[in-house]
Amino acid sequence: MPPPFPPAFESLLHTLLGRSRDVASARDDQRRARRAVLSQSGTFVGHRPYVRGDDPRRIDWAACARTGGFFVKQLEQEERRSTALLLDLSPSLGCGETPRRVWQLRVAAVLGGLALLHLDGVSVLAPGAGDAEVRAFAGARALPALLRHLQSLPFVVVEPSHAIARAMQEHLPARVHWLSDFADPAAVARPLQALRRGGIAVTGWLPEVPADRDPAVAGYVRVVDPCSGNELAVPIDAALRTELRAQLATLATRQDRLFLQAGAPLVRWLVPAVDDTSVGPWAPLVARGSA
Amino acid sequence: MTFSAPIPWWWLLLLPVLWWLARPAPPRAQVLTPHFAQWQAALAALRRHPVRANTARLWLLILALVAVVVAAGRPFLPGGEGARRLVVVLDGSASMAARVPDGGSAWERAQVSLRDALSAVPPHVDVTVLRAGGPLLRRHGASARALQDLGAPNGSLGLDLEALAVAAVAVPHTAVWTLTDGQGQTALPTVGALTRFDTRGDNASLLAVRLVDRWPLPELGIEADVALHGAGPARVRVRVEGAVAGSLQAELELAPRATSTASFTAARTAAGGELRVVVELPGDVLAADDAWTALLPPLPTPRLCWLADAQAGPFAAVAASALAAEVGGTVVPPGAAEVGFLLVDGGRAALVPGQARALVFGSATPGSGDVFAWPSPTVVDWDRTGPLTAGLDLSELRVQQAWRGVLPAGTPFLWADDGAGREPLAVVAGRGDVASVHFAFRLQDSNLPLLAAFPQLLRRAFVHCHGAGVAPRVLGAAPAAGEQELHDAASGDDRPLPPFAEPDHDVTAWCLLAALLLLALRTSVR
Repeated sequence: MPPPFPPAFESLLHTLLGRSRDVASARDDQRRARRAVLSQSGTFVGHRPYVRGDDPRRIDWAACARTGGFFVKQLEQEERRSTALLLDLSPSLGCGETPRRVWQLRVAAVLGGLALLHLDGVSVLAPGAGDAEVRAFAGARALPALLRHLQSLPFVVVEPSHAIARAMQEHLPARVHWLSDFADPAAVARPLQALRRGGIAVTGWLPEVPADRDPAVAGYVRVVDPCSGNELAVPIDAALRTELRAQLATLATRQDRLFLQAGAPLVRWLVPAVDDTSVGPWAPLVARGSA
Repeated sequence: MTFSAPIPWWWLLLLPVLWWLARPAPPRAQVLTPHFAQWQAALAALRRHPVRANTARLWLLILALVAVVVAAGRPFLPGGEGARRLVVVLDGSASMAARVPDGGSAWERAQVSLRDALSAVPPHVDVTVLRAGGPLLRRHGASARALQDLGAPNGSLGLDLEALAVAAVAVPHTAVWTLTDGQGQTALPTVGALTRFDTRGDNASLLAVRLVDRWPLPELGIEADVALHGAGPARVRVRVEGAVAGSLQAELELAPRATSTASFTAARTAAGGELRVVVELPGDVLAADDAWTALLPPLPTPRLCWLADAQAGPFAAVAASALAAEVGGTVVPPGAAEVGFLLVDGGRAALVPGQARALVFGSATPGSGDVFAWPSPTVVDWDRTGPLTAGLDLSELRVQQAWRGVLPAGTPFLWADDGAGREPLAVVAGRGDVASVHFAFRLQDSNLPLLAAFPQLLRRAFVHCHGAGVAPRVLGAAPAAGEQELHDAASGDDRPLPPFAEPDHDVTAWCLLAALLLLALRTSVR
């Protein structure tokens, strides 16, 4: 795997963070002021009817006794000014000539850098990474440490449900950026709902590589699943490539539908060329990360 | 199931090779993908299968190969219990030539019984016939069933039939059948089938015949040893017939198990021929030991010739005349057309030693080297055991002068010693039917003609020069020892042959059919 943070990228990262200050800072205060993120802690601001998916523990039983209906307390989030990066360390991100893992770490670096720059800190959750599972960074000067930490993370096979359960044990901030390939949407659905019930705003980040749309392989190949080790010996022809493209499109649709149902955005970011150090491809990502 | 030829089982070692060849070729390119499920779904949507070793097809191929290898091993299913091999022990000793009460000899009856029984033996049974007694013969397979070349009964039964039968049945699935008259056995075999032929009866046998041959004279002495093997005393007649003048016979009164000798003095016929000595006993069940036959060569009518140098004196002529009178020949003058025996005294003889029948005294021959006078050699010894001088007294022999260098290469039988070691004075040259006798001195230079042994020496030299061809030749063998006493045969009850096993079922074709079916099934398996 190529190094995720070569000097060219670090230079680009500083450029991106410098631009974000201009773009986001003006709106930051006013948005932060009116943002009311549901949380279990904060100032009580009223009730709202209980809807499916809400945590039953947040039901206000006194109001229920008074009115006969189910209501949950609505609390205004305290200004915690932090975010979390939830990283999928699955070996499936190591596939490809320029693995998706490289782009995952670079996106994490950008998002983490933005958090260090505009918020009070960032937590990096890497379930399965052992001692490095949870690591918090604060202040703009922590950016090099953040990069080193990201670069040191291993590949680990962890089920998404287990990863989320582990993350929920931590005191997660109200906003979590989940960076993964979401290759198995069925395995992601339950953790997403758990996060939602926990009142955590999740944003899915999917660095999209060309192989997600069209696997540019031909001939007689052995297809290997890096997580399970299963493999297939397959002769590839035009019909199979066409069908495979259809299956990949179906997968993308399922991913989108899954996040839509969970009320969480899924950001597909088409990765640039590995040696492309221009700001252009990264601008949408910075804008989204600053929002 | 067993196998006739299990060697092809080695071909099963090809199974790993077959498995290795049946493996699909591994792809050279490898793709790591997070979308493994999508690859599987795409293949399923197209109803395709990934390339992999088809276990069912491989197993069908392996089973087909195993079936072919099994077929190559010529498998068969045993046909059940019973003998698959029959060993026939046939007594072929001389006593089997004895007559049996219902006619014919025991040997003939045994062969008839064998033919009848073997014709009923299933073809898949391996038959071996062992002839015991006389020459041990073994016939196997078709030769055994045809009783091919089993000869005639002769010789002694030097085998223990019980031990032979036990050894034969020790081989699994083997039945043994012994056919014997019990003669020469302490007990009959207790295992296997048994057929015994009753040959008990009186028998007179001619144990030995000795000839005292006076060839070339016609006188012939005959001594015949006769034994009686009977239940009581009997008179046995001994006859001599054939190449003798007239018919001679004698009667002997013999007790059971007694032996007597009949002596005859006969005159040979000049033409020679077969001389037969026969014993006769009423009710003799074994005729094979009743006769003795010898072939007598014709008597010679020798034409003798003598040659002598000028100083030889009358000895050669006198010796020739004496020899002619001794052997019944005639003396012919030198230069006659046919000469059967030459007597030479002194001078030089134009004959090749050992290639002409001659008696030579002090004569040089074409092969002789330089001749030197040998004055007064001292005769010290002669061959005491050889046919020429055995029993003769030559101690009075004196030689005034002999000649060194006249003796050819040959076997010496007379020696002189003058202090320098023994030196031959006479030799026999040649072998076989033609020989010559050479002396190193002339008759006139010794007192040999005056010795009493001289006529005998002349006759023996004449006989010796004719070699062994003049000896009677006995035809046939001496009667086998222990085969004459037919009253002492072991007895026992006959036992039938055991049942034989059913033939084996060859399943080679079934194995090949199974292999074909497996291959056909394999074509339909994807």
